[in-house]
Parts: sequence; C-alpha cells; structure tokens
Amino acid sequence: MATSWLAWFLEALSKFLNFITFGKMLREEIEDTDLTVNVKFSKDLIIPVKISSDMTVQQIKDQLASELSIPQQELRIIFAGKELMDQTILQDFDVGDQTILHAVKQKQAQTSISIPEVNAETTCPLSDSIVKLQLTDSDRKTLGSSIDIRRVHFFVFCNDPCKQVCPGKLRVRCATCLQGTLLLQEDPQCWEDVLSKGRLKGKCQNDSCTGSDAEFFFKCAAHTPNTDNAAPLEHVKNNFQEVPCIACQDISQIVLVFPCEASHVICLECFLAYCLSRLNERKFVQTDLFGYTLACPVNCADSFIKDAHHFRVLGYEQYQRYQRFATEDFILKAGGVFCPRPGCGAGILLDETLSKCNKVTCSRIEGQGCGFVFCRDCLQGAHIGPCQEEDVAERDLTLAMQREDTAGGTLFMVDEDRASRSRWDKSSRITIKGTTKPCPKCRTPTERSGGCMHMACGRCDLEWCWICQAEWTRSCQGSHWFG
Amino acid sequence: MANIAMQRIRREFKEVVRSDEQSIKLELQEDNVLSLTGYITGPEKTPYEGGRFHVQITIPETYPFNPPIVKFTTKLWHPNISSQTGVICLDILKDQWAAAMTLRIVLLSLQALLSAAEPDDPQDAVVANQYKTKHSLFQQTARFWAQTFAGAPGPLNPDFQKKIDKFLEVAPRADRHTAIQQLSNFDWNIDKAIEDVYKSD
Ligand SMILES: [Zn+2]
Ligand SMILES: [Zn+2]
Ligand SMILES: [Zn+2]
Ligand SMILES: [Zn+2]
Ligand SMILES: [Zn+2]
Ligand SMILES: [Zn+2]
Ligand SMILES: [Zn+2]
Ligand SMILES: [Zn+2]
Repeated sequence: MATSWLAWFLEALSKFLNFITFGKMLREEIEDTDLTVNVKFSKDLIIPVKISSDMTVQQIKDQLASELSIPQQELRIIFAGKELMDQTILQDFDVGDQTILHAVKQKQAQTSISIPEVNAETTCPLSDSIVKLQLTDSDRKTLGSSIDIRRVHFFVFCNDPCKQVCPGKLRVRCATCLQGTLLLQEDPQCWEDVLSKGRLKGKCQNDSCTGSDAEFFFKCAAHTPNTDNAAPLEHVKNNFQEVPCIACQDISQIVLVFPCEASHVICLECFLAYCLSRLNERKFVQTDLFGYTLACPVNCADSFIKDAHHFRVLGYEQYQRYQRFATEDFILKAGGVFCPRPGCGAGILLDETLSKCNKVTCSRIEGQGCGFVFCRDCLQGAHIGPCQEEDVAERDLTLAMQREDTAGGTLFMVDEDRASRSRWDKSSRITIKGTTKPCPKCRTPTERSGGCMHMACGRCDLEWCWICQAEWTRSCQGSHWFG
Repeated sequence: MANIAMQRIRREFKEVVRSDEQSIKLELQEDNVLSLTGYITGPEKTPYEGGRFHVQITIPETYPFNPPIVKFTTKLWHPNISSQTGVICLDILKDQWAAAMTLRIVLLSLQALLSAAEPDDPQDAVVANQYKTKHSLFQQTARFWAQTFAGAPGPLNPDFQKKIDKFLEVAPRADRHTAIQQLSNFDWNIDKAIEDVYKSD
C-alpha cells in the first residue's frame, strides 16, 4: 500500500536526517528561531501554531484537537499533496515560516480513499532528491539561511523581489476549490505532469468539494511570505552529477541543461553570456512550438529552450529587448512592415487579400498607429502609379537604417514604446502588446507564452482572455482558445 | 562576457601546453589572452611535411559561443587557404562551430586540413583549380612554398628557382614573394605570369 510505503519513507527520512551532519547543522541553525505555521482548517479558520525544532505532526494534532474540539484521531494534516504521518518531524519536511498546512476532519474511513498501489520502482517521489544528496562539499553556496541548496530540485524565476533564478517550491492544490486539501493519487514524475493542469488526479478532502484534478504551481523559496506564483524553469537543474559547463568548464551547483539528447550543461553565468551574444547578433530562432528561442550552443538537434521565461536571466532591460525582437521578427517573418514615419515604427501585418494594392495604412486603432498612409514598396507616402526610382533608393536606405539600428543595440529607429505595442492584424484586426498584457482585474503584467489565449493571473487568480482582456468565458473557449 | 572567454582560453591554453603534443603549439601574444599564436607542424607524407606554420588566433568577446578568428600568417599553397591573405575555409570556424570545441581541436583540424584538402569547397580558386587539373604541379608548388616560407627541409626545385630569377630580371620592381605568387598562379608559365604583371600596372 502506498500509505504504508510513504510512512516507511518518512520514517526513514527522519532517521536519515538525524544521522547525517548537515541535518544536525540545519536543525541547530533553526533552533533559536522557532517557526510559525498556519494550519488552515476551513476557509476562515486559520490557526497559527508555533513549532519547535523537533515537533512532530502528532503533537500538532494534539494541540489542534483541543482547540477545535475534534478527536485527535479524526484529524488529518495535508501538505503538498501528501498526508503527513504522526511521527513526522515537521521541520524536516521542507516547512518554512508561515507555511500553510491543511487540516481536515477525516471524511470517511481511511480505507475507502482510492489510492492506487504505487510501484516504488517506477515512481519517482518529489523527495527523491534527499536520497541523491551529496554531502562531500563544504564550500558550496547556499542561497538562503534556511534553504539547503543541495536539496533543491526545482528552480523558478522570481520576478519580485529577487529578480533572479531562485530555488522553487512546488505546490499542489485542488484545481476545483484551489485549496491545498487535495490528496494526490500519485506523485508527479515529469514536467508534463506538473505543467499540465489536471493531468494528475487526486481526491479533495475538503468536505464541500468533489474535486479530483490536481493543479501544480511554484513559489520562490528564497523568502516568505511569497504571494506571487513564480515561473518554473524546467531546464534549470541542480548539478548533482557535477557536470562541467560546456562553455567555461567550471562545475557549478545550479546549471541549465539543454533538452538535447546529449543533455548539454551550461552554467547560468555562461547561459546569460550566450543569450546576450545571440541577442546582440539577433540570432534567436523563431520556432512554431517554442516561440523566439535558442538551441544548445553545440548545435544539437531538438535542443530548443522550451519556455521564454528562461530568458528572464537577461535582466529586465535586455528581456524587454528580447521581447521586442521577438515581435519584430514575427512581423517580418509574416511579411509585415514597420511604419516608416520617424518616431512611429509600429509593426503592421499586411492583409494578404489586399496584396495587389501597395497602399498601407498605419491605422489609429486604440490610439496606437499614427495614421500615416504609405506605399509598401517604396515606403514613401501613398501614391498612384509606379514608385519613383529615387524613392526606391530612399527605401533601401530606410530599411538599412532600420536594420542597423536594431542590430546595433543602442539606437532604435523602431520606437521602444511603439514596438512594444506592435500592431499586427490578419483579418480580425487583433491588437497585441508585445507578449505582455495587464491582468484586467489587478493590472499585473502577464506574459503569454505559447499559443493559448487562456490566461491566469498569478496575483489575483483571475482567469482571463488574452484577446477580450476580460474574464475567460465559454465563448472565448469556443471562438479563440488559441491561435 | 569577456571574462568567460578569458577564463576559458586560460584553461585551453593550459590544456595544449600540458598535452605536450609535438605537432601543435600555442603561445600568448604579449600577455593578451584574447590574441594568440598557434603553430602547426606540416603532416608527414604531404608537401607541407617538416614545415612550421604560424596561425594568428583572435578570440571574440563572445567566445566560446562564436568561433575564434583564425588565419595563417605563414604563406601557404593550399586550396582551402588563401595564398594571398591566409584566410581559411574550414566549416568549424564558421557555421559548424560548437561551444564545446577548443583551440586544440582547431589546431588539430587545421593540421588535418593540410593532410586532406577539400578542393570542392575552396578558399583559393586558383590553387583549387591547379589541385584538380595539374595535381603533380600543385604538389611541387606547395612543397616549394613550404620550403620557402615555412622552413621545410630539402633542396629547392631548380626549375622554379630559375623562373623566379628570370621573372625578377624582367620585372625588377617586384619582390621574391610576388614572383613566387605570380608564377604559382600561372602554373609556372613565365610568359603568362609576366604578361599579367604588366597588365595590372
Ligand atoms: Zn525535497
Ligand atoms: Zn523570490
Ligand atoms: Zn477541492
Ligand atoms: Zn559556464
Ligand atoms: Zn546539446
Ligand atoms: Zn505609424
Ligand atoms: Zn511606392
Ligand atoms: Zn475572449
């Protein structure tokens, strides 16, 4: 049975942590600063519990039982999709200050919870990293005082306040009631399990909820409280195998592993240098599946970075530039033009049905275009009849300047602000502001990655539509789910 | 960015020094890590045998994500190397470069290029043409160049020597380098070589 296996595992884990030195160090470090965890019993009932270094789940239950006047045996504590066993020492289980635990009253007899048997051979539990711990090094960097970087398997890009790659915490909740009261049927085994909502099933222990879909999300582990969800970086990994960086050949703790067959490893510093050099050369590649991206520097097949969030290591300004290049590249690839009027530079996708006509209007949609009407061929004001020869020469000069300016990286003919609102329209006259739009409720800028129009705000949890910029509805789903 | 390049070059430099390979060598130019000189010994059983060829290596700031800029500073008669400028046509120095490659691999690849030319992807069309149509003359010319410019051993081809002297008599303003270049370009046909010099005057 999975539960007994889990119990065995947790027991082994706590013994393990007792024996090894860093476990002691970790414990000593925390000793003088007791943590407070919040035990959430229902929507409105949250009980803060001070936990000391060796407090077990059983002791917490005792404390709660008296406060809630529920028999101790009927209480169950759920954390990160798992039920915590009585003998578990809480601080060994990746619990930090202000962490929320979920307490539920036993719903039914325990045997009726349908947890299929888990094959220990094929299942890779999240806590797997503990087994792979390397304890040899003394000089490895640690990111926060309470995080042991050697235990971290997940990394995120934390936008606020860290503005860097941080250890991440994977969390799971019931996709229906959004509470952490879901007991998972099985552990996630791969990124797809985690990144696609509802792929893994469980059973929500919330009395009023019948939810069975799991929803995973990530938090930055470097600080508490952390209200914002952080973008998971699936290619960033802990370098347990001590593979040297392909570029500088140093062995770094945190590395990026390309999805190529050879799994080439690059340290984050070199990855930044790599991104910058390719950005300056405008050598990112526009791909159908992963957008504007980079392949492994060894030119391996199938090695594209799958998610644009990885390029956030570029820093805010360069990342903006990356997004602008991506937009411009998209427009040029699709046969669009940039408005030639100085200071405008709006990107315009040409309507293919109008291809016989060379007149292009930089239309004033939502106050974005400048209204200039020009000839697509010579980029001069619209005219009747063939282009003047000197105008064509002028166009080549304009194009050359546009190209030079964007390649040089300092001077931009394409106005920053305009370009970020680059307008492209096929038949539907869709306006897209680069790849970022504010959440319609809380105005948090949200990026769209991939083709789906269904957005979920990381701050206010609103699900909204990229196109309508309003709450996501069934009709959005019907008419423009993706595109 | 440049410090990744520098750090990497320092390592690679040590790698080449430590490897103790006889046929390749690497030297720093005036303590500037981003500018180096490489040496390659001409491979056996080639016209380049026994010669010592210098290459100038410039490391871009974006190394190793972009290839080093490498050219021969020793004059060389080879289809994939410009006989005038020393510029090299080698795919790993262009689009086939990969961040995992090193200067050691570059030098060994250049050595391999001296053993096995690729006349169908030439840098120097004149040399490539001679390589394909008058192979024995190509080999004698390449040998003569290696002896003259790279210190390869053995007696110089007396026929070539005579033609050079005659060329210099007729065109006294030209130097020995120019004479060798011109004569080689015209398959050692002295009349055509001289005619061309006057044409370009
Ligand atoms: Zn863990
Ligand atoms: Zn953070
Ligand atoms: Zn639920
Ligand atoms: Zn590195
Ligand atoms: Zn690779
Ligand atoms: Zn305009
Ligand atoms: Zn025109
Ligand atoms: Zn919609």
